[in-house]
Amino acid sequence: MTQPRTYRAVGLTLRKRLAGEADVIATMLTREHGKLDVLARGARRLTSKLMGHFEPLTLLRVAVARGRALDVISEAEVITAFQSVKTGYQTTARALYVAELVDGFSAESNANPALFDLTLQTLNAIAEQPMSDLPLRHFDLRLLDLSGFLPELYCCIDCGAELEPERHRYAAGAGGTLCPDCAPPDTLIRPLSLPALKVLRLLHRTAQPAGLPSLNIPAAVQNEVHSALSATLQYWLDRPVQSQRFLDATKSA
Amino acid sequence: MITPGQPTPGSTRSLGQLVAELNRLPGVGPKSAQRIAYHIAQIPAEEARGLAEAIIAVKDVLLFCAECRNLTDASPCDICANPQRNRDQICVVEDPRDLVALERTRAYRGLYHVLHGVLSPLNGVGPEDIHLPQLFARLDGASDPLQEVIIATNPTLEGDATADFIQRRLSGSGVTITHLARGLPVGGTLEFADDTTLTRALSGRSPLE
Repeated sequence: MTQPRTYRAVGLTLRKRLAGEADVIATMLTREHGKLDVLARGARRLTSKLMGHFEPLTLLRVAVARGRALDVISEAEVITAFQSVKTGYQTTARALYVAELVDGFSAESNANPALFDLTLQTLNAIAEQPMSDLPLRHFDLRLLDLSGFLPELYCCIDCGAELEPERHRYAAGAGGTLCPDCAPPDTLIRPLSLPALKVLRLLHRTAQPAGLPSLNIPAAVQNEVHSALSATLQYWLDRPVQSQRFLDATKSA
Repeated sequence: MITPGQPTPGSTRSLGQLVAELNRLPGVGPKSAQRIAYHIAQIPAEEARGLAEAIIAVKDVLLFCAECRNLTDASPCDICANPQRNRDQICVVEDPRDLVALERTRAYRGLYHVLHGVLSPLNGVGPEDIHLPQLFARLDGASDPLQEVIIATNPTLEGDATADFIQRRLSGSGVTITHLARGLPVGGTLEFADDTTLTRALSGRSPLE
């Protein structure tokens, strides 16, 4: 059966790159079709009807025509441009961190509606709590979960024994928590405090960022959670997260 | 199938090398590179030498203006050295081509600062990777009293992030910080304008005089 020549989708622009004289190639996460690269012809011309529609972090309703190399946008309508996360460079960078990870962990044309919903929920959470790290850490863990890389948080990943309080460590490359007796070869093992493990379990149990309780987590524990999740994301992504480097570099600016 | 660097059947090694070099230029694909290479092969020798010398001269002569960081043959550049320019206004642009576009309007008589990029979290481009430290050093050490910094970064996500970074860094310095008006382009239509543009056009509306 032949595929229809056009299709419709609701999608979030994750990144854009310039092509030709005035074209844009946008990477979009759509609910219906997963991640797509689409060509928006003439979208950089001031008088184009597509001008301004394909900035990163814009939720669009699009009509797309199938092309030989790239599918081509025929119509686009902005649903929301998430203006409230674009009010400053730090919130913008936080939102782009979400976009970069979604791009890195998504497969082309492989629909993942739960990941699409999580992405939008996290952008809304950033808009509501611009300087809170908890929605981002929740996103990190849920992204790993929805992509099939959820780290083990309750048992030893090596021997399977249930973890005893205060007797656990963490190894991103091994796939999660370890008991003190196990040490898989060629794996970087890091200490993990009980409060940090509890925060990770709480993040795992919370389905949506809006459901996160208001917590006063000590900075040291926040750093530990961030460090463990960051190592896990980088292990599976196999490259540094550029927007994280940007966030680190501008933290003191 | 044209493979840059490899002589195609019927071609030569030198032409293959030229195709490969041209193919590295922005916007030049393998077909265009081949077309340009064959064109160069057929033009008179002095014309080809003129092209080669122009490319070498650009690399030998061109440098950054010590003040505005624009590309110039001599530092300070013509704009910075011109006593007729307003020295109490600095317009911050992303790229030398943006400076050329603004100069074309003949509507601005102040000085410039060229960033040669924008903050780009997705590409790991931070403040130290573009000419932002030079801008802040220039403003901090300005001998003439500065009245206004005009931020003329592109109205993109990254351009706006860069503008926000500059604004935060300069807030409290006593200098007026402005950015170019945002809204509908000449010849544009309301119906197809995106929400962000329309919102900015509404908030930046001005009385008819």
